[in-house]
Amino acid sequence: MTALVEGLKSIKKPFLITILIVLILGSGLPFVTSSYMLRVLNIAMIAYLCVLSVYVLLGMCGQNSFAQAGLWGVGAYLTANMTLKLGVSSVPAMIVAIAGTALLAFILGFAFFRLRQYYFTFATIGLMTILNGLFMNWTPVTGGALGISDIPPFQLFGFTADNETAKFFIIFLVCLIVNVIIKVLFHSPLGRSFMAIRDNELAADCLGVNSLLTKSIAFAISGALCGAAGALYAFLSGYLSYQTFTYQQSTMYLIMIMLGGTISPAGAIIGTLIISLLQEWVRPLQNYMQFIYGIGIMILMIIQPEGILGGGKALYEKYIKPRKRSPKAE
Amino acid sequence: MNLQLLISGMSMGIVYGLIAMGMVLIFRSVGIMNFAQGEFLMFGGYFCYTFNQILHLPIVVSLLLASLSMGVVGVLFMRSSYWPLRNAQAKAIIVSAMGASIAFKEGARLIWGSIPVSMDRVVEGTVKIGTASVQWQHIAIIVVSAVIMILVYILLEKTFIGNMMQATAQDQYMASLTGIPVIFSIGLTFALSAMITGVGGGLLAPIFFLNNVMGGTAGAKAFAAIVIGGFGSVPGAIIGGLIVGLVEAFGGAYISSTYQLVLIYVVLIAILMIRPQGIFGEKIQEKA
Amino acid sequence: MKNISNPENAVLRLNDVCKNFGGVVAADEICLEMYPGEVFGLIGPNGAGKTTLLNLITGIYMPDRGTVVLGNKNISKQPTYKRARAGIARTFQHPRLLGRCDIKTNIYMGVDLANKRKKKSGQVDNELAVLMKTAGLETVNLKDTVDKLSYGQQKLLEIIRAILCEPSVMLLDEPAAGLNNRETEYVGALIQAAVGKNIAVLLIEHAMDFVMSICDRITVLNFGHQIMTGTPKEVQENEAVIKAYLGGGNHAGR
Repeated sequence: MTALVEGLKSIKKPFLITILIVLILGSGLPFVTSSYMLRVLNIAMIAYLCVLSVYVLLGMCGQNSFAQAGLWGVGAYLTANMTLKLGVSSVPAMIVAIAGTALLAFILGFAFFRLRQYYFTFATIGLMTILNGLFMNWTPVTGGALGISDIPPFQLFGFTADNETAKFFIIFLVCLIVNVIIKVLFHSPLGRSFMAIRDNELAADCLGVNSLLTKSIAFAISGALCGAAGALYAFLSGYLSYQTFTYQQSTMYLIMIMLGGTISPAGAIIGTLIISLLQEWVRPLQNYMQFIYGIGIMILMIIQPEGILGGGKALYEKYIKPRKRSPKAE
Repeated sequence: MNLQLLISGMSMGIVYGLIAMGMVLIFRSVGIMNFAQGEFLMFGGYFCYTFNQILHLPIVVSLLLASLSMGVVGVLFMRSSYWPLRNAQAKAIIVSAMGASIAFKEGARLIWGSIPVSMDRVVEGTVKIGTASVQWQHIAIIVVSAVIMILVYILLEKTFIGNMMQATAQDQYMASLTGIPVIFSIGLTFALSAMITGVGGGLLAPIFFLNNVMGGTAGAKAFAAIVIGGFGSVPGAIIGGLIVGLVEAFGGAYISSTYQLVLIYVVLIAILMIRPQGIFGEKIQEKA
Repeated sequence: MKNISNPENAVLRLNDVCKNFGGVVAADEICLEMYPGEVFGLIGPNGAGKTTLLNLITGIYMPDRGTVVLGNKNISKQPTYKRARAGIARTFQHPRLLGRCDIKTNIYMGVDLANKRKKKSGQVDNELAVLMKTAGLETVNLKDTVDKLSYGQQKLLEIIRAILCEPSVMLLDEPAAGLNNRETEYVGALIQAAVGKNIAVLLIEHAMDFVMSICDRITVLNFGHQIMTGTPKEVQENEAVIKAYLGGGNHAGR
């Protein structure tokens, strides 16, 4: 409880103001962009939630998972099954999707994190492949190769989010809430134990961190984020196919966060936006796009292995910060 | 039926073993898992296709030429994707290799198109053993791969260049102090790794057809082979490859063909949970 | 004040602790007990098994035989984090702090994990300020990241963090190695501060003057064997100890 209070205390004015500005600017967005662009943004925001899940796991806790797209799929298929087969309404279905995915991740985390570092990553690659295999072949639940279609859009109190703008607002709201949660997490003792494990697991143990449990919690939180993203995706697209939830998609999330930088959630925003918009802008060059994209990732890693945010921070500390300080020192 | 499955499983498995061996060579040399290794297989296959089907050279010559070309690709890959990042965090190198993997895939599509292609077999026809009829190509794959593995073993263990590569793998700084040109030695390792993996592509192509996305699945299986066999162990990679090939063949025939890849990874996770270091790997003792 | 005479008061006790690494004896029937407010030295040549003993106490290694008792609880089979929460704090030969986080985060990291957050954070802040002053770090900005600090400052910070966790036993692995004279004095001052809080301090150190001046009792290890335990004076006059250090007979120092 005290932990939560301390985390909440960390929400200072600048952060609130930023959130407010984003809220106002974001709310205006649907009225100035085309509905096609809005669609792109909606999908980008869902990807952003998944990239945030990588941020929690890799950026905060230092564990690399390639199963995020699989967990995303679990959330999506859970939602689809709840709403279509059991007739559950949107909000409870979404909650079940989030809780279910988190629980799955937590249990698997307990098993997988008995393996350290590299080995955990291997196990997640395995998990990704297994999940994708299930999505493709477990016809009664996932619809098999045909997928599931006609998932009803998000509904609450008689309001139906059936157009792109309404969908935008719902996803946007979830993103904002998640951002606040991540901020609280970052400044809470739990967040600190994540970072202790990231920097040195043995030293963290010596400080009293139950590393197995803590890492499993990190995996569960990342699972919850993926579950939320999955539910939103199901409501957004109305159609699920196993081809969406692939290992390639998982690597895409890793690329996005590495491009933006792993030092803060802002890296996730930057990375997701750049890649999502890039994919749209170079669509005219479609034939060469993927090739350029691959080469671009290599070049970017070579120029700035810490991501855009890391590069920006280094520049800031080299040029701007010393100038700011020097008058005080003298 | 069973004999047929055994031979085809072993021939697939030994190719996975080749890819896995290539991955392990790079891992032992620079401590990084190469996420673009499967693309070496695909590229090697396409080179072989070019020499064999477009330039109409005999298949054995094509395999040799493809292998040499892959050596060049390996060096280029190392120079562009690993060397500039050698002092960065491992995750940056992994992401860079993923970028390279996309570029390989798309490059192959731009050059050779996305329609699956095939090429000549090393040996045509089938042979009857008892009631089973076995394709000669499967037997050829096993023989050729085994010869390659023996050659690599001799190169690494018995020659000066091999010793140099091993010294660099163990301690780059020490190696450079004794006068070994580290970049040359690492480049050689990448070249060797790409060469043996590339030949695998040329051997598989007549059975499966080549396409630009085959690297992903093959790489995933090779990767399972490494983990099953024991991380960082060359014999482990080969044995692991054979296990994966056999699980795939028998599991596909007796359990479910749709869940083939799932089955392999269930075995992988089971082995990880029981014996994380794999069959041949050594247990890592943490140091305070 | 130091109830060394009465074994009932021991805060940490090792009974016949043994550990082998594939035939190499790293700890051979080690017996020792530590009392609140005592500074206990652990010395011996390189490879004597000093850090191994620390790892056995913190649970990074499990003993092959023998027991580790904290207070009156047998903790031999407990995992590292439980022992830490039960009141064993340690520092490392090379400081292991969260390099990319600021100093305050680093301090609180340890404190809230040790379950010692019953206190108001203001109180912790005050104690922190006092200790920072003791360590000569009062000019350091708590908002700076740790990697801005020098090596010595990081080591001092690690000790401060350990003290703020209010452990019953604090294990210091070569706190003065790589530090200049001034910083070594600060280490001494911090150890005294810990003693003032009735913490038992186990000190591994190679700087003999430092060890002899600050320790109440000393155990000498060589090749995993406990050569002797006694006051600094007794240790300095012991033949076997001199032999172990200067190298004689078959036990030539490495």
